[in-house]
Amino acid sequence: MKNLMKTGVALLLLGTALAPAAWAQDAINVTNLSYRTGPFAATGIPLMNGQRDYMMMLNERDGGVNGVKLNYDECETGYNTEKGAECYEKTKATSIVTQPWSTGITLQVLPKSNVDKIPILAPGYGFSPMTDGKIFQWAFNPPASYWDGASMILKAISDGNLDSLKGKKIALLHLDAPYGKEPIPLLQAYAEKHGFTLLPIPVGLKEMQNQSAQWLQIRRERPDFVLMWGWGAMNAGAVTEAVKTKFPMEKFVGIWWSGHDGDMKSAGEAAKGYRSISWSLPDSNAPVMQDIKKHVVDTGKSLIGEGEFDWVFYQRGVLISMFAVEGIKAAQAHFDTKVVNAEQLRWGLENLKIDEAKLAEIGMTGMIGTFSTACNNHAGHAGGWMMEWDGAKFVKVSDHLEADQDMIAPLVEAEAKKYADANAPWPINEECK
Amino acid sequence: MDFLNSILVKPFADMFGAPDFLLQVLWEGLVSGVLYALIALGFVLIYKSSRIFNFAQGIMVVFAALTLVGLHEKGVPALLAVPLTLLVMFILAVAIERVVLRPLVNQPDIILFMATIGITLFLVGFGEIIFGGENKVMITQELHIPTGSFEFEPFGGFVSIEQKDLTAVVGAIVLVAGLLLFLNKSKMGRAIRALGDDHQAALSVGISLSTIWVLVWFIAGVIALATGIVWGARAGVSFALEVIAFKALPVLMLGGLESVLGAIIGGLAIGVLEKLFEIYWGQPLLGGNTETWFAFVFALLVLLFRPQGLFGEKIIERV
Repeated sequence: MKNLMKTGVALLLLGTALAPAAWAQDAINVTNLSYRTGPFAATGIPLMNGQRDYMMMLNERDGGVNGVKLNYDECETGYNTEKGAECYEKTKATSIVTQPWSTGITLQVLPKSNVDKIPILAPGYGFSPMTDGKIFQWAFNPPASYWDGASMILKAISDGNLDSLKGKKIALLHLDAPYGKEPIPLLQAYAEKHGFTLLPIPVGLKEMQNQSAQWLQIRRERPDFVLMWGWGAMNAGAVTEAVKTKFPMEKFVGIWWSGHDGDMKSAGEAAKGYRSISWSLPDSNAPVMQDIKKHVVDTGKSLIGEGEFDWVFYQRGVLISMFAVEGIKAAQAHFDTKVVNAEQLRWGLENLKIDEAKLAEIGMTGMIGTFSTACNNHAGHAGGWMMEWDGAKFVKVSDHLEADQDMIAPLVEAEAKKYADANAPWPINEECK
Repeated sequence: MDFLNSILVKPFADMFGAPDFLLQVLWEGLVSGVLYALIALGFVLIYKSSRIFNFAQGIMVVFAALTLVGLHEKGVPALLAVPLTLLVMFILAVAIERVVLRPLVNQPDIILFMATIGITLFLVGFGEIIFGGENKVMITQELHIPTGSFEFEPFGGFVSIEQKDLTAVVGAIVLVAGLLLFLNKSKMGRAIRALGDDHQAALSVGISLSTIWVLVWFIAGVIALATGIVWGARAGVSFALEVIAFKALPVLMLGGLESVLGAIIGGLAIGVLEKLFEIYWGQPLLGGNTETWFAFVFALLVLLFRPQGLFGEKIIERV
């Protein structure tokens, strides 16, 4: 009897010890290095909400991905590089992916990913040469890099004829941070090739809401176009100053992170005509959005505020989570397993095939361009559309645009090699194994 | 030779070549300066009365502005939301005195400074929970702040003065004048100054430390609200407003931590000088964005000659 009791207690203890492990086997941890606080929170919140709600919807509607629950978790960085690096260290053992959410954090964790063997997923942001998957084996920036964005903007403002920019002056109003400086090498290359003058105008963190000096420079220099690489409060500050300076809005174009409904509300009607390139299109009636509404929003599980459901950034957050989920699905199928690990997800992200059939299957038709990734192409180059602020919301005003890869590819190759040389020994997957 | 020309001749030639543009630069610098002075005033008042460097001043700007906009979003009329926000700032001042400062009386200055960092973190989290982190639109029109602009054509050029900037300047002048009057002419104001001069002596003549601390934190709250309205009207209300508090640091270095006059003159000087430097030297020669460091370098240069700042008190300690 005594032995029986001992065995019982031992089994109970063993069961207790194994229970979390068994539970963990049925779930995949996907951590997001979020920024819901700090000076950039206004941009971060709708994006994080979109990411969170898509995964929550899959858990509610389908019980996860192929029967495996998704544990969506966040580690708050406040968009601060040091905190981001801490979050990476804290979460790398449990999460199958790192979503750094800032170019500064991406650059910080980039060398570590080779050692830790955990994929970095930086959709539409990060270091543009990450496109070169032979060198950046663990980093992914689908569906487009900043250089894709810069190329598409130039195409749009020149109506497809970049030689028409000859003799013109283009100002780049950018956050004085790694993110803001990202397009400069490509724009400089374009300036040399097509004969226009590039005028970078940096905006410091403390000057984001008082850009009078920058806009006085714009008034003095009279550029033909102002391109903006702004984030968070900088976007609202710039648009307000543009209105004040009476800069023609149709000559003012932002990258996709400068096209946020929440930022534009401050300027409202006065900012009508401002444009932003976007690799995503909001569609609140898309089946996926209706499912999120049904399973997450209407059940009170979402954190979104009034009107946020229709915002470009909320729905872009949904698409960003879709990349991770499709990577997981691809890995599950390829490795014939349910609970994929970080290395398997790396394969999945390298073999994404987002075609029309896939978009229809997941209820996202028309919300993003089709693309696929490969060993030597970690961005996918999905292209995008010009969106225009109509005083109340962003609307699509162009056909689908594609970046000029003939111009971008050599620069990607050169800069990726430069990075690898500077960080030698750097592992390179020459044969694309 | 070209280098010397670009530093010593060209900037001045540009100024006189386009005097309308120079006027615009000076105006923008003046507006920035007034706003810096407002933030610096909040720091000075608290430091004067309690020797605490209030790290929470920046987040108080955010909190006051968010409360105003938040109350209006809940249906409170704008003109009623202002006194209600002031009431909230008063309650905050009482809470800070009771919960944070009173238990720390007689502790070293660094402890009190650390406590204000704690207040900052609390207000960030508390503000997030109540108001959310999204960018909000300041209720400029509802507060009857004019939003048009006055346009002039001096010297055959063009100068534009935003009415809301003009309102900010006038409002700041009225606020500062009222504050100076209060500090110099009222009994309470004199008590604040007495406490700033000598805590022990002030206490010995019956001045209540807790009352004065509540009062100065409330006044800092009033200044925070004014600052929040003015800055919020420019680019919306969000937690990004917190970083503008750092613009006040060189102002304090320049003007001195204890001087109201120093905060005002230091703010105006830095506002105008950093704008002139950025436009005529920084952008053409250094690629721009000199505003991030110019004020600190300028303040450091002043400190080399006047370690107590332009208007700070010279402290001699016997050792």
